Amino acid sequence: MLPQVLHRAYLRCPKMPQVSWDVLSSLTVMVVHYSFLYMIFAMPLTLSYRTTKVINFVHSNFITYGAYVAILLNGLYGNRNMLLAMASAFAIVGGIAVLNNIAVFEPLSRRGAKPVALMISSMGLWIFYKYLLYTIIDLATHFSRVNFVSYPKIVYEWIPSVSLDSVRLSSSFIATSLSAAAMIVGLYVLLEKTNLGRAMRAVSDNPILSEISGIPKRTVINLTWLIAGGIAGVGGVLWTSYAGAITPEAGDSMILQVFTVGFIGGLTSLTRTCIGAVLIASIENYGITLLNQFFRVETSYKPFLTFVTLITTLIVSPPLGAGGGLPYRLFRRVGKSA
Amino acid sequence: MASKSIPTQLIYLIAGVLIGLVAGYGVFSITAPQPRPGEVPTGEGRVFTIGFTLPLSGELSSIGKIWEKVVRLAIEDLNNEVKAFGLNITFNYEILDDETKEEKALQNVQTFAQKGIKVVIGPAASSQVKVVKAFADENKIVIISPSSTAPTLALKGDFIFRTVGSDAGQAKALATLAHQEGSRKVIVFHRNDEYGRAFADFFINYFKDLGGTAVSQPYQTGLADYAAEVSALAGRVQSEGFEAVVLVAFDTDGANILSHAAESAILSRVRWFISEGPHGASELLTQSVGEFAAKVKLYGTRPLFIANPLYIELKERFKEMFGLELAVFCENLYDAVKLAGWAIIRAGSYDGEAIAKALVEVAKTYYGPSGWTAFDETGDKAQQDYGVWAIVKTAEGKYEFRDVGVYERGSIVFIEVAYK
Repeated sequence: MLPQVLHRAYLRCPKMPQVSWDVLSSLTVMVVHYSFLYMIFAMPLTLSYRTTKVINFVHSNFITYGAYVAILLNGLYGNRNMLLAMASAFAIVGGIAVLNNIAVFEPLSRRGAKPVALMISSMGLWIFYKYLLYTIIDLATHFSRVNFVSYPKIVYEWIPSVSLDSVRLSSSFIATSLSAAAMIVGLYVLLEKTNLGRAMRAVSDNPILSEISGIPKRTVINLTWLIAGGIAGVGGVLWTSYAGAITPEAGDSMILQVFTVGFIGGLTSLTRTCIGAVLIASIENYGITLLNQFFRVETSYKPFLTFVTLITTLIVSPPLGAGGGLPYRLFRRVGKSA
Repeated sequence: MASKSIPTQLIYLIAGVLIGLVAGYGVFSITAPQPRPGEVPTGEGRVFTIGFTLPLSGELSSIGKIWEKVVRLAIEDLNNEVKAFGLNITFNYEILDDETKEEKALQNVQTFAQKGIKVVIGPAASSQVKVVKAFADENKIVIISPSSTAPTLALKGDFIFRTVGSDAGQAKALATLAHQEGSRKVIVFHRNDEYGRAFADFFINYFKDLGGTAVSQPYQTGLADYAAEVSALAGRVQSEGFEAVVLVAFDTDGANILSHAAESAILSRVRWFISEGPHGASELLTQSVGEFAAKVKLYGTRPLFIANPLYIELKERFKEMFGLELAVFCENLYDAVKLAGWAIIRAGSYDGEAIAKALVEVAKTYYGPSGWTAFDETGDKAQQDYGVWAIVKTAEGKYEFRDVGVYERGSIVFIEVAYK
């Protein structure tokens, strides 16, 4: 295989630090796996923001609720069918997202609430949903006598693992890759080839004009929430096939990464969000492993690397066009001095 | 004129309200009945409330939820015991969630203090105990942690008591275990918090005393996943030729780390030794982790008085009542509740200083599911035994935690063969 040949050539370089093929190959699989996971987690955040203009903190609940739909189906009914878990998570979490819009965001917007007020209300919902889940889990544990507060990885049936030479692709990797591909193709077809997608883009670009043009803005926004919530919920199901232990804090623990990926995408561009997912997955996995291996940097600095990326993104290219980003400010200064 | 009279009227109004408040408070203070703080007199006798700050959410929520049930059971048992002695006293409990966060634990202790509660059980983590310590000492609130084990908190003359021995002892047991099992060069993969850092330091010192080499590799806590950390660990294990990994973790992070390690060819070739944190976590009883445990001959240590009939009885009652297995430190929590109750009774007055003194005396003669509970001069459990645990496959093909050895007079004695 070409990568192995290149790796052997690298090892012949006398002064270069040595990384074994085992470590490098498993690390690369992990980076690809995480890239797909972050795409599935962050793309719905971008999708929902660009159409609804709500910075949605409930997004982390969407991921957790998706995971817990799969966990409760597994723990209470013994379900190991991932497609069933995904369909249920899409319907339930998508439904919650629509309900949030109808019950909270829409009435507030009608009363003229600014985006900041909507963001604060989403923070309130975030706390509400977090503790609602703990209550549900308590009840489920009480009646079923299964500990749902911390649940092991679910091994789903029908999904194979594949070995390519010395590289092993787990069933979770296969499921995540296929789901990410399906999501990207699905979103492309939806946004580019369907009337609904065109309507979503129109609402995103100019809500007032789209409404004047006769586009049912309310329906489009509700459908956007359904899709965004649903995809994040499916991401939660995929997480149950990967992480060794899942808790009600799962989504919250990923909020830094998911928002950083979304911010790299400017909360508007799905393509840039995908690039952001690959970037964060690489920084977190290649970055910390290689820094640890070569420079003995402690792995506990991993969140720091993500945070530095977030700060850099906010300074250089902040989302929402706030301040125009560093290049814009520099150009403006140059223009003024001229 | 009008513009001058309004401020004057306002001043009179504010002064009137203030005088009224002060006078009202004075009259109320004199005439109102004076219940002792934390104690509610009722027609049926005296009622004391014990405060609990538990990790019902956050990183330790999986054990916190089980502890909540242990509290119910222990309070019920305490009340039955008190009644059996013919005392007209009832104990109530108030549980607050500290989200496994330091500042939230402090807030909870402050809330209890405002309510006049002088005895608080919890918090769970050493980092939390460290944060509440100053407030507890200043306000004479007796803190009894059932699970904080950091040796750095073993301090004389404070109001912090721990119904478990400090990790200075467990680190020695774990170092002995790793050395006795033939490992000479180990990497300590530990939580980057008070518990993990202190445990790792003590382990490394003891292991070096035994003639081995040990280095530490901390990881950040509270993450959703530890795949990158495990990958970095695999890199170091391979490049530096470590013979064993010593994992110092809680339950959720420990389970996550082991599930990723199970998929690593490099980490499946070295031995694994673990602290008490992940013991009892149901996430470890999966097929992949069970097979990994057998492959690497995974052993852990934990504070345990092995074959204690009171522990076995508690375990069986708990299983019968709630259908769940006891999690780590449940027996220490149970004993903490009993000690707190009897110390309040023995103290004679509901005062932190008196209760702290009484607690030491009560503990000298109390024997519970965690063994003999006497405290040493720093307020930690004086006599702490350590057991060796493993993840063993049952006849039905499932996996379970089993205590397979004890630490005795400086060496590990196995009482059962865990892995063939």
